[in-house]
Amino acid sequence: MNDFVHSLPSIIDHIVQSIPLFKPEIALIGAFLLSVLATLFLDKVWKHSSYAISLGGLLASFLYLCGQLDNSVAGFFDMLRIDNFSVYARMLIVFALLMVCIFVQQHFKEKPDRKRLGEVYGTLLTAGIGLHLLTITSNWLMAFIAIETVSISSYILVGYFSENKKQSEAAMKYVLFGSTSAAVMLYGLSLVYGFTGNLDFVSMQHIQGLAAAPTVICTIAILFVFTGIGFKLGFVPFHLWTPDVYEGAPTPITAFLSTVPKIGAIILFSRLTQAWLPTLFYFSEVTFFFLVVVAIVTMLVGNLIALRQLNIKRLMAYSSIGHTGFLLMAIMVLSTDNQEILLFYLAAYTLMTLAAFAFIDSIESATGIVDLPAYAGLGKKFPLLFTCFTFAGISLVGLPPTAGFIGKLLVFTSVFEVYQTYRDVAHLLLLIVGALTSVISLFYYFKIPLFAFLRKSNEEPMYKIGFSLVLVLGVVMSVLLVVLGLFPGLLLGFLR
Amino acid sequence: MGLLSLLIFLPLAATFLILLLPRSLQSSFKYIALFFTVLQLLLSGYMYTQFDGSATGINQVSGYRFVEQLPWIHLDIGSLGRLEIDYFIGVDGVSLPLLVLSSLVMLMAVGSSWNIQKSPKGYFALLMLLNMAVMGIFAALDFFLFYIFYEVMLFPLYFLIGIWGGANREYAAIKFFIYTLFGSVFMLLVIVGLYFSVINPDTGAHTFNMLHMMNPNNYVEGSFFAYLDNSHTIWGIPARMIGFIVLFVAFAIKVPIVPLHTWLPDAHVEAPTPISIVLAGILLKIGGYGIIRVCMSIFPDATADANWWLGLIGVVSILYGALNALAQKDLKRMIAYSSVSHMGFVLLGLASLTAEGVSGALFQMISHGFLSAALFFLVGVLYDRVHDRYIYNFRGLAGLMPQYTGYVAIAFFASLGLPGFSAFIGEAFVIIGSFNAESVGTGIPRWMAIAGSVGILLSAAYFLWTLQRMYFGQTRLKGGEEWASKLKDLSLREKSILFPALALALVLGIMPSWVFDKMNTSVLNLVSLITAQL
Repeated sequence: MNDFVHSLPSIIDHIVQSIPLFKPEIALIGAFLLSVLATLFLDKVWKHSSYAISLGGLLASFLYLCGQLDNSVAGFFDMLRIDNFSVYARMLIVFALLMVCIFVQQHFKEKPDRKRLGEVYGTLLTAGIGLHLLTITSNWLMAFIAIETVSISSYILVGYFSENKKQSEAAMKYVLFGSTSAAVMLYGLSLVYGFTGNLDFVSMQHIQGLAAAPTVICTIAILFVFTGIGFKLGFVPFHLWTPDVYEGAPTPITAFLSTVPKIGAIILFSRLTQAWLPTLFYFSEVTFFFLVVVAIVTMLVGNLIALRQLNIKRLMAYSSIGHTGFLLMAIMVLSTDNQEILLFYLAAYTLMTLAAFAFIDSIESATGIVDLPAYAGLGKKFPLLFTCFTFAGISLVGLPPTAGFIGKLLVFTSVFEVYQTYRDVAHLLLLIVGALTSVISLFYYFKIPLFAFLRKSNEEPMYKIGFSLVLVLGVVMSVLLVVLGLFPGLLLGFLR
Repeated sequence: MGLLSLLIFLPLAATFLILLLPRSLQSSFKYIALFFTVLQLLLSGYMYTQFDGSATGINQVSGYRFVEQLPWIHLDIGSLGRLEIDYFIGVDGVSLPLLVLSSLVMLMAVGSSWNIQKSPKGYFALLMLLNMAVMGIFAALDFFLFYIFYEVMLFPLYFLIGIWGGANREYAAIKFFIYTLFGSVFMLLVIVGLYFSVINPDTGAHTFNMLHMMNPNNYVEGSFFAYLDNSHTIWGIPARMIGFIVLFVAFAIKVPIVPLHTWLPDAHVEAPTPISIVLAGILLKIGGYGIIRVCMSIFPDATADANWWLGLIGVVSILYGALNALAQKDLKRMIAYSSVSHMGFVLLGLASLTAEGVSGALFQMISHGFLSAALFFLVGVLYDRVHDRYIYNFRGLAGLMPQYTGYVAIAFFASLGLPGFSAFIGEAFVIIGSFNAESVGTGIPRWMAIAGSVGILLSAAYFLWTLQRMYFGQTRLKGGEEWASKLKDLSLREKSILFPALALALVLGIMPSWVFDKMNTSVLNLVSLITAQL
């Protein structure tokens, strides 16, 4: 007790010194509180107040992030690790959240019986805080709390708008799956903590503890821990919730679910694999084997099931599962000096997914169509929209001249380099499956232009898609995809 | 911006111009396309006259003409080293004739698109985009650039077949796309492997430069595709052979070889006439060109080991394609299969690894380029008028359309290898080359040459039999009087498209040296590159 009292001032000093590291998150927290207040009082006077506050909070967070560049430090007793990797990842998260906020605002603008949106912005910001934490921690406890923050926010976002049975079912499924996997993960974490006595997964003590652990229990613990992360990322076999939830949730929320949480979770996972994979002990082998199998199965399952989908949102759900598999392949070969490859792929993925959802949302808002066959003949009516949509699709397949291709090429390149050095058949298999699933994915992404341009509808469509902010953003993002495909140096040079 | 860049990007300017003009001016789009393709033909023709045949090409920058090299993507990416991608283009004796051919065939395609009614804006914009991509493929000397053009080529074709095609167009479009993409994603993996194996001697960085990939000294020791003492194997097959096979399959799908040809009849039958012309006239040549520029030049050692198989595949394609053509009842399908057969000669000639054989293969590509374009155009003439091309639905067309029948007869005779026409020169050189191969010792047995000659015989059979079935005899049509009134003879536009192609077939049949002179040095260089590995 005495010891504690003596060290108290230094502890407080340390905490006070660490607070500036937390600025981007504090901005989000502040914006969250303000937007709650604004929802209660200000929205009656000016209905966009909470929206404006949220956008302001995100921008402020972005500015603080710029200040953290090129400045690797740790704070809060190594609970937070700020490095460029996390700064870029959080910039991406903030950017994606900004887009999603705008999508949400535009999506519900026209709806007559709308619920108050203030809560939605607040919840998005909370999810943002959780995701920020995921990217800057290597501590299991923090990671767990962050995952739960994101999960609970996501449950609310999915359930908040549910209007019919199907949407409620989706929300319910999501909550049940989420809570179960969180419980399993927590159990796994308790086992890991039991072996190691340390919650920081990059620390020496943690690694040594795992190396000394008995193999059977160690395997179980690792698998349990991966369950929690797997749920957030939606890799096979924890993907079962995604299609229903993606289909049931409003389109802007689906756009959120398919991009932002993945960024956070993949960054955490990549820190974990970077710490765990290089050792020669049993737990590294288990992790490696698990990752290889899961990456291959996820790529195959996601892309093969997507072939049969005709609902565009379900299709995007399976496509995002497929991309998760590809991301797993990318993090397996990540090393400290080629992190920009993962970041570039994530940025490209975020851009193309958000662009796709911008178009899906524009079409849905104007016409109510979410089924691909109903796109028939629309291409001639809205050539710009569907041309850009096709570009997003091309990028999602990973064909030049788009950012998706450069991302894929860089990932293949880094995997090949590892294969050339270690000559492990696993890497070769990953490469082959990655290439093969790109071909498979062409089938379903090209259903969009197939229906829009190649098929004719029987009746003349009477819809009008006016000029809207979401559409403009979608077009801008598609153009950006092509620009980054031709001049990837613009972004890669920055991430370097 | 040099002449070559201008040649590549002129059509892109046309695309943007067409896209920017309002729909009310849509009758002008074909004139814009025509203007730009004529300009391209003049430009490529000028370059052809300026090109001196002494350029050795293939593996040395000094052997190329109209070279342009600009740094494009130069980046440090951590442990992967420095990424070095250049905008690097140039032509040698192999690519320049193909560039001229492409601009000629494109002009024919634009000419035959004159009556397109369905959204001409999208049609001509996509056609010009396709034009840019194929020009880029023939000029690119950086593998990354090559790959980009190669993939960009697929999108306009998908839409051109898928939107403007026949009844079963969706199936044909996606089948074509999937086949090509299947080959090319694995090609991407080999490109990545080559990137890690090759170092630019000037900068010490890994590079996508194809010419550096052709120089054994640039390979990193112990790397995956290392030239000497390569111990890498995948399932027991040496790494360099794997690389060769993967690249070969990617391009062989385009050629196409049996058994990877099944996309071709579907694509041709469903595609509108102009796209069939482009497919047969240019796209199949991209396959052959890729095999020369990429497979054989970068992997000469593997080529020397595998050429027996290449020859066998060529012979099988010649015979199988010809037999299939004999059995077809759809005129367009028959010509599609005749393409498979004729492109088999290209493969056989290349496999012979003799100067005669390789020159013959290249000459065959050129000759088949405009002859098949003319053949598909002739089918289109018939189809435009009565929307039918089933061989047995027509008889005695000569009475109704004498001029048309005349052109058909010339095109058929030229294609089946009648002496005096270009196809004869190509096929004869291929046969001579593969016959001599045994005495030179490149490993191609004589029976392959003999089997190839049987293919020429078969091609005479199916062309003449078709001529007899459709054009001679008593006039009898399925559509009766209605068809007879619709089947008018060739218009001036149609004649002016056909005449240059058939005239060229005759001119090159009599004066083949006009092409051989330009390509000879490059061919000799290629042959010596590979035979050194035997």
